[in-house]
Amino acid sequence: MKKRKVDSDNAIVVKDVSKKFKLVYDKPFTLKERLVFWNKTRVGYHDVLKNINLTIKKGETVALIGVNGSGKSTLLKLMTKIIYPNKGCIMINGKLTSLLELGAGFHPDFTGRENIYFNASIFGLTKEQIDERLQKIIDFSELGEFVEAPVRTYSSGMYMRLAFSVAINVDADILLIDEILAVGDQHFQDKCYEMLQELKKSKKTIVIVSHSLGQVKKLCDRAVWIYDGVIREDGETSKVVEDYMKVCG
Amino acid sequence: MINDIYNYRELLKTSVKKEIRGKYKGSFLGVLWSFVNPLLTTLVYAIVFPFILRNSQEHYVTFIVIGQLPWAWFTNTISQGTSTFLANGGILKKVYFPRVILPLAIDISGLINFLISCIIIGIFLFFSGIGYSLNILYLPIIFVIQFILQLGIILITGAIDVYVRDLEYIINFFIQMLFYATPILYSIDTFPVWVQKILRLNPMATIIESYKDIFFYKQSPNLIMLGIVFLFSIVLLFIAIKVFNKLEKGFAEEL
Repeated sequence: MKKRKVDSDNAIVVKDVSKKFKLVYDKPFTLKERLVFWNKTRVGYHDVLKNINLTIKKGETVALIGVNGSGKSTLLKLMTKIIYPNKGCIMINGKLTSLLELGAGFHPDFTGRENIYFNASIFGLTKEQIDERLQKIIDFSELGEFVEAPVRTYSSGMYMRLAFSVAINVDADILLIDEILAVGDQHFQDKCYEMLQELKKSKKTIVIVSHSLGQVKKLCDRAVWIYDGVIREDGETSKVVEDYMKVCG
Repeated sequence: MINDIYNYRELLKTSVKKEIRGKYKGSFLGVLWSFVNPLLTTLVYAIVFPFILRNSQEHYVTFIVIGQLPWAWFTNTISQGTSTFLANGGILKKVYFPRVILPLAIDISGLINFLISCIIIGIFLFFSGIGYSLNILYLPIIFVIQFILQLGIILITGAIDVYVRDLEYIINFFIQMLFYATPILYSIDTFPVWVQKILRLNPMATIIESYKDIFFYKQSPNLIMLGIVFLFSIVLLFIAIKVFNKLEKGFAEEL
């Protein structure tokens, strides 16, 4: 990937990005399989994203909408550098945190508190920075005394609350969120959206994949509708959501 | 890459901690197992080998312990390092962080374990009456070389293992064989010169011999041989980083 100068107003620039996934039927995992089925594995390619161009400015709150399998999550993964594009390049300007799946990297035997340290360090925080935020994280998660219990004893709601609290307190410039808020109860969901509103006010860049269109309308100023790997519509949220509803509703 | 590691130093620290403490979590002896294990292995060798080999080595138990403890670091690092990306597949698919942290944490936690187990070597040296000499000051040079060598190996094997999962088993077998080609239970001088030459192709042979030199024989290690192993390790590490950077991009898709 070539390094190019990023316009300082832009947080994320996606340029001519295409991504295809190899579809291997009966993938040979072992050497034996590789030798025995030499050149016999059927390989197909699935184009997930086709020539995507997208520029997200600093401070923008953007929703990615679209039906399942349209490539929204793949686009987020490309932005986080978990996977790399086959073509084109992605430029990121600022510290980026992603919440693709909750509690990635939680160690089930460690307590909530220990996992806060571990999880926050995955996001690149130092010990001092975590110390500073620890109380805020615990308060936000509403876990109370359970923060001293091993994470494997948590309910899925508690698990999600802890994970979200860590990620939202990392203080990243860019926050990528995949459909995950649906796990919490109404009270916690509201709280999360309130927090996102606050982050939005403090000029953070937020990219969110969501199917709850009502909340998307409230939170985001811009929506990008991805359909079958291409951007079908990009513009003001209410308009894009309306068009999307017409087709998919 | 170094910059990346520095930014994520807290992750490296917690990973090392997790590696040391998490492994034996739930067991009664906990971390102590990492020392009890090689000691028990030593005990087995010390009982079995004098019977099957005619061996005239004085202080045989101490002789084995000095070889066995660094060897335990080597085997643990190689076998865990090779499978680390597969073992952590879940988190690699979901979060970005410099992937090199994982093998690095394994090598570092092994180093810490080894340094603590040097106390055990010290105890054996004391009670066997061998005592100590200033040559112990060579210790940091030797373990740094071993550290670099291991890091180079696991960066390559760990990255390849994601694509070809047999490597784990091949490596484990290879390590078992290498054990006998490394002067842990014997001294390399007991062989004819041509065999010695072959044995010295194994970089671990020189490293283990150096530990024996500074602890057991109380003499300076063979600095020329050690220098060659050092150069080899550095070159290997450079190649490993190149290979690793290429292969790591596909990790999330292959896992």
